[in-house]
Amino acid sequence: MLNTENLAKKLGKSNRINEPTNRKSIITVDNIHKQYGATIAVDNVSFSIAEGEIFGIIGPNGAGKTTTVECISGLRVPDSGSITVYGLNPRENHEEIRKIVGVQLQESSLPPRIKVWEALNLFASFYPDPLNAHDLLESLGIDKKRNARFKQLSGGQKQRLSIALALIGNPKIAILDELTTGLDPEARRETWTLIERIRNRGVTVILVTHYMDEAERLCDRVALINHGRVIALDTPVALAAKEGGEVHMQFVPSTPVDDKVLTALSGVVSVEHRGNRIVVAGSGDVTTRVLYALSKVGVQASDVQVKSGNLEDAFVKLTQANDKIIKREVGPQ
Amino acid sequence: MSAQDSGVALQKPSKPFWELIKVQGKLVLREPYSIIFGVAMPIFLLIIFGIVPTFREPISSDTTMTVFDLYIPILMVTVLIMIGLLGLPIPIVRDREIGWLRRISTTPISPTKLLAAQVTINIILAAVGFVILAAGSILIFGMNIVFDITGFVLSLVLATAAMFSLGLLIAAVAPSQGAANGMMMALLYPLLFFAGVYVPMQVLPSSLQTVSSFTPVGAAVKALESSMQGTFPSIIPLLVMTAYTVFFSYIAIRYFRWE
Repeated sequence: MLNTENLAKKLGKSNRINEPTNRKSIITVDNIHKQYGATIAVDNVSFSIAEGEIFGIIGPNGAGKTTTVECISGLRVPDSGSITVYGLNPRENHEEIRKIVGVQLQESSLPPRIKVWEALNLFASFYPDPLNAHDLLESLGIDKKRNARFKQLSGGQKQRLSIALALIGNPKIAILDELTTGLDPEARRETWTLIERIRNRGVTVILVTHYMDEAERLCDRVALINHGRVIALDTPVALAAKEGGEVHMQFVPSTPVDDKVLTALSGVVSVEHRGNRIVVAGSGDVTTRVLYALSKVGVQASDVQVKSGNLEDAFVKLTQANDKIIKREVGPQ
Repeated sequence: MSAQDSGVALQKPSKPFWELIKVQGKLVLREPYSIIFGVAMPIFLLIIFGIVPTFREPISSDTTMTVFDLYIPILMVTVLIMIGLLGLPIPIVRDREIGWLRRISTTPISPTKLLAAQVTINIILAAVGFVILAAGSILIFGMNIVFDITGFVLSLVLATAAMFSLGLLIAAVAPSQGAANGMMMALLYPLLFFAGVYVPMQVLPSSLQTVSSFTPVGAAVKALESSMQGTFPSIIPLLVMTAYTVFFSYIAIRYFRWE
């Protein structure tokens, strides 16, 4: 249906930038706070986003992710704190912001009988310098559906149209909220390659998601928000390495090994036997050290498997730790 | 990245408001409830009333007025009731419920323009209904209308304003499409009754006639009646319609939500 896989391989990963500090910061969120009645939705959130970055905002449901991006797009006004987007204040420069920020909203659909090209044409008329609707539909792989009505589209096609509407105005920034929720795995993967292509066109992407595999695959950096606060902000790789827990390495030794050979190594936390397999848990590049130590004592390791901590582990660990702190602050209920 | 860069000549779409009118117009044609109930149904009634022989006889010996004559302003107000209660508010409530209004509000265009387009489309529909009713009764059924043009246009404008502001009020306060449908049904029959659709007010006791004349629809029928008999309508029905318009609009503006 959509032949973007190869293109994405060519374009997507090759120029992935993991050092956003080198680049121009275009969005600054400084200490914003937003409260609905007694409920604090966003509690002193700060971060900045560099041009051309895919910036992920992750966190449990109801953590304040959507409210945060709604403040950036100017849909909501924070109670305190400041936001600048390309030097503009979303509160005061509504129209200017809306020309450069394309937004894909969570749970927003189109009138059921509007046709794909009609919706795109309509949105194109709203912007001073829109993209060519035909090219955009083609690049999103829904050009054949241009005469279909919204209600006739599949979930994946609806999402792609929604992305098209966010991009038709030729924005500098695209905010995509819960983009792949409700999509089947294939449609999710197709959507991911699309996002990489959007970034490769020079668009800065803010991606709100609660799928960790999505954030891990796409984002240059992620901010983890819990109870309205940023509790971690780093690259997915660094977060997984720092907070994702130990590396678990397992292998079958050619001859029995004295545990002491392994436990003596720096970084090794535990050594376990499972049948003829040895499982070593440790941190950092424990795998290299174990293999080196084994070769020194003349043992060969076969069937080596390494499982390192991932973003999901980091996510669970960090949010649980944070929940405990918050419970302590609030007191037992 | 932009169309210029890609070397393709950009077909710049026309003005946003015109695009909104076109799209909203197409959606009305694809969901033709307001056309069926607001335009087709009153025309159907006009034909029926024009065919029934007893409707073409004078209502009393001292006048040439027939039941059919009485019904022309009533049917015009029926157009407004249907479009005001159904055609105007239901799509607005739907567009809010599905998040379309909110989606529009993320663009440089204010969603107020979408509402304005919706109102414009429905004014066009109502105007089509008026023209067909007037032209049909004169040309096909040979009705003898002496228009007080100023009074007629003023009455129609005020009646449209009153019923459209009622529609916007429903759009403002109804939290869901279900609620909007409920409000529509609750208002529909009383309004049709006081407009005289079931029986013209002239046939009913004077107490009910008085009540009717202080409803927006009763006042509208009264004002249209006199202006279609060659006299400028009395000030009271005009004031009644103006007062309702101000009142409904105030509540609509006060309580309208985009999401």
